[in-house]
Amino acid sequence: MLSRKKFIRQAAMSAGAIMAGPALTQTADYFSPLKLTILHTNDTHSRLEPFPMDGGRNQGLGGIAGRMQLINQIRSEEEHVLVFDAGDIFQGTPYFNIYKGEPEIKAMSAMQYDACTIGNHDFDAGMENLATQLTNHAKFPMLVCNYDFTGTPMEFKTQPYKVYRKGKLKIGVFGVSIEGKGLIPDNLFGATKYLDPIQKANEVADKLRKQEDCDMIICLSHLGHQYKDNKVSDEVLAKESENIDLIIGGHTHTFLDNPVKYTNKKGDDVIINQVGWAGIILGRLDFEFSKFSGKKLTKNHSITVSQKSGG
Amino acid sequence: MAQDFLLHLKIVYLQIRLLYMRKNPLMALAGLLVFIASLSCNTTYQSQSLQYKSYRITDTISKNTAALSLLQPYSDNVNKKMNEVVGIAEISLEKKQPECTLGNFLSDAFLVMAQEKYNTRADVALINFGGMRLTQLPKGEVTNGKIFELMPFDNLLILQKVRGDILQQFLDLIAAKGGWPVAGMTMQIKDKKAINVMIGGKPLDPKATYTIVNSDFIANGGDNADMLRPIPQITNGYLMRDAIFDYIKKLKNQGKNITANIENRVTNAQ
Repeated sequence: MLSRKKFIRQAAMSAGAIMAGPALTQTADYFSPLKLTILHTNDTHSRLEPFPMDGGRNQGLGGIAGRMQLINQIRSEEEHVLVFDAGDIFQGTPYFNIYKGEPEIKAMSAMQYDACTIGNHDFDAGMENLATQLTNHAKFPMLVCNYDFTGTPMEFKTQPYKVYRKGKLKIGVFGVSIEGKGLIPDNLFGATKYLDPIQKANEVADKLRKQEDCDMIICLSHLGHQYKDNKVSDEVLAKESENIDLIIGGHTHTFLDNPVKYTNKKGDDVIINQVGWAGIILGRLDFEFSKFSGKKLTKNHSITVSQKSGG
Repeated sequence: MAQDFLLHLKIVYLQIRLLYMRKNPLMALAGLLVFIASLSCNTTYQSQSLQYKSYRITDTISKNTAALSLLQPYSDNVNKKMNEVVGIAEISLEKKQPECTLGNFLSDAFLVMAQEKYNTRADVALINFGGMRLTQLPKGEVTNGKIFELMPFDNLLILQKVRGDILQQFLDLIAAKGGWPVAGMTMQIKDKKAINVMIGGKPLDPKATYTIVNSDFIANGGDNADMLRPIPQITNGYLMRDAIFDYIKKLKNQGKNITANIENRVTNAQ
């Protein structure tokens, strides 16, 4: 028979053990970093099937069937995954000439893309067509903050940004695209107003950081990686930015061997990545996060970049 | 955040009680740390490290069956359309320099269709030699897919109003590159320069303005045509490939097939 004192002690210990369980999990949460996996493509250019086996240098590469298999596999292995595209989804194979982008958008919805931005070639079958394809087949938003579509068929079909919650993380994502003049025929660009990409990007990023309280800010860009003259590019944007952590680029079909690091106006690191074109490559970026007190944030945010082994 | 804070407070209270009972000081300590961390309400997460990887989508990755079945109705139809016969080539049209049958056929097509689509008169049409992606358009049935192979890029057929002296510079570039397909004009190549240039049967006038049919690729300075870059482009988004299809259709309506001759449009001066 248990003595009264012993019984109380045991009961208290059991209670303690029950309560300590969550406490330990919480403790583990504080000290084990949070992970976010970002998968990305750009300038897929209607390449739904792999390049034909015609002896060309890209033969057999790309295609949605392989890409979808890989995306699904990574989703099954990682808790927090976001999938993005940086524009020019349309144009480049007879699929587009015949179907005007329907299978491209359907495939992206099936692959559960989280967002894309708009590229110059996405205008190729007209704004009305793009609006129709998005309305009928897109289960993801098209993000762009520096095109004013007021009074065009694309009005209300895009949004400047979207905030994603992944576990405890708040991820702000916005889109920025290239000047239409000289690139997009006037009859296709219509009454679209092109706004200064750097000014708009900084405005939106500032809002995402301060008002939406985002832990990470991602820019989907169709500006192009870099130019010989001082035309606005991802490189220029990165240096002129204040709150962008990552730029997922497109337009110049640049195959970067590794993500490139720049320093922004505040001295923080900005990462840029771009993965060529035609869906030949799926880019993967695994970020690890640490918790900070808001007031104690390290003054210059720096990030270590390394190649992922295996997987 | 307030909820978190209350929860932590509750846990810490229990931890302290346990500590008091001297049963589990380590767990209590952990709880205390949690408590301290939760004290600052304005917490945020910041990325500290990035690991990257590029996956090449090769045929060693198995194909997702859902993607394949999504694509199948489209690909069946695309393949069917690409195999459709759009016209008949009476001869094998060849790609050669300084002048060739394939180039003459295409430059004629561009000169005719540009005038029709822009509803204006044009003097000459010029094609960059590298823009033709087949070395030969074989005699016989020509399929849709063959025209896509010939012109896979989505270059636009555009117009530019060019002063004679600038056009001469452009023709000199063409001469230096061994001769490109032209329509509406003739020229000879001597010492990498264009000589005896005749436009519409008259010698080139350096001060006159000519309307040229060009690709947006060259007009944007492609193939070193820098002299054309500053000149405004008149464009309505008409694809060069579509101009070929339209021209073949137009010939068909006139009861004609695909053919061309060597007409000494571009020759090497002796």
